[in-house]
Amino acid sequence: MEGSTSADDFIPAGLAAYGIEADEIELAVIRAAHQTFWPPILELLALDTSQAPAEPSPDLSQAPPSR
Amino acid sequence: MSEPLDLSLRGQAAAIAGGEVDPAELLEAALGRIAERNPALNAVVETFPERSREMLAAAPEGPLHGVPVVVKDEWPLPWRAQRFGAADMLASPAPGESGPYRALRDAGAVIVGVGNMHELGASSTGSISVYGPARNPWNTERCPGGSSSGPAAAVAARLVAGAVGADGIGSIRYPAAYCGLTGLKPTFGRSAMAGHHMADVSTTIVSGPLCADAGDCRLLASALFGEELREGEPRGLRIGVIRADISEDVAPAVREACEAAIEDLRRETGGEVREIELPELPAATLATVLIANSESLGGITPERLNHLDPELSPIGRGLLKYRVLLPAVATVKSQQVRAIARRTLAAVFEGVDVIAWPTVPAVAPPLEAPIVELPSGTLTADEANVRGGALANLTGIPAVSVPVGSAEGLPVALQLQAAWGRDELLLDAAEAIERANGRRWVEATPPPARGAEALEA
Repeated sequence: MEGSTSADDFIPAGLAAYGIEADEIELAVIRAAHQTFWPPILELLALDTSQAPAEPSPDLSQAPPSR
Repeated sequence: MSEPLDLSLRGQAAAIAGGEVDPAELLEAALGRIAERNPALNAVVETFPERSREMLAAAPEGPLHGVPVVVKDEWPLPWRAQRFGAADMLASPAPGESGPYRALRDAGAVIVGVGNMHELGASSTGSISVYGPARNPWNTERCPGGSSSGPAAAVAARLVAGAVGADGIGSIRYPAAYCGLTGLKPTFGRSAMAGHHMADVSTTIVSGPLCADAGDCRLLASALFGEELREGEPRGLRIGVIRADISEDVAPAVREACEAAIEDLRRETGGEVREIELPELPAATLATVLIANSESLGGITPERLNHLDPELSPIGRGLLKYRVLLPAVATVKSQQVRAIARRTLAAVFEGVDVIAWPTVPAVAPPLEAPIVELPSGTLTADEANVRGGALANLTGIPAVSVPVGSAEGLPVALQLQAAWGRDELLLDAAEAIERANGRRWVEATPPPARGAEALEA
């Protein structure tokens, strides 16, 4: 999937949109993190979860209620 | 009797209860040992002898009466705010009675020191901390694991016999694995959590014990749970294994030791090994990271991010700012993945009692370069470790890391996971593995635990 090469635009534009400043070292860290996370994020977004069971506010101390 | 400090946690408790050990002498011995061994390890970042003595003087006759323990720098104490291993933790920490503090106090334990941790709890390595990194007692050039680095290093070096950590994405199990300990990540919501700065928002973090073996974890977890975790005898255990990257893309020595331990467990319990499938595992891993990272964003403003303490590491500063860029739709999707994974696990646990795979795919990497070599190539330790640790936090199930071998002179560990509320079964299974291997790996001690000569050698 395309998209992971847009980091050079996405990161400075995203930070600027929030008014967040970052020095060169921080930007290098953010670019490295983006390189790691963005491709799997795109894969995650591409997942068809339309059939996913709804479990709003799950009680994580227990198994999900049976359907 | 051997040195009282070298007794197990339950051994210390029994010796004090039986009048064989004076708890005041044990406390002073622990402080002395910390002074002696800690400089090489940086496991304990603060002691407070007078507070500890006061705690002992007021200690009730509980199951841990007079037993010294360490707590991670993630839990506030009445006399000390947590620092979260960081120069700036965004939240405003304050001293107070955290849940683990109350649980330990009510059980009669004595908090003898605060354990180091990875900055902001943000890594499985323990390689960055405002205090400088803790070091792995098995090899002080290697990572102790994170983020509960100090508690693990302290127990492995026998500064204390038990410590309380916190596990948001494997943060008890990774350091337990790297340091050769048993570490329990309880079922979500079952262990003391009050007072944690994210207690009201986190759906992944739990407190839990790090000890030499499962019996000690049972004792310390009982205090943290506020209920006795009874011992059982697992018979006919159905062990689920996965033929996928999580079990196969691991260092050969780790794979061999874990497969042998699974066979030990099967034989010891008269059980069987069943292949299972968890097709959502890769998505579940990412979902855990996204959920955990977004849950910490509530108190963040752009203005605050522009005024981070300059002593926070560049990695810490960069990652905090990157969190803001994570798309909300991915977090929503992550919650859907969580629902799917929980339902899949519920079905899987109808057919197996435990799921087994390596806690981490390779032994502790160098502190200076926390990367690991796997059959698939070179990965950062964090990328590699999160694959095995995240599922339990995402879904709420309990998990335990058990030492089962050694490679390159460093511990190797197997992780067992069970259905919600079956924490006791995990400890029973861990004890079955201990019996099967003659307690070889839970009784193995690193050089600092063998005395000053070994440290100098």
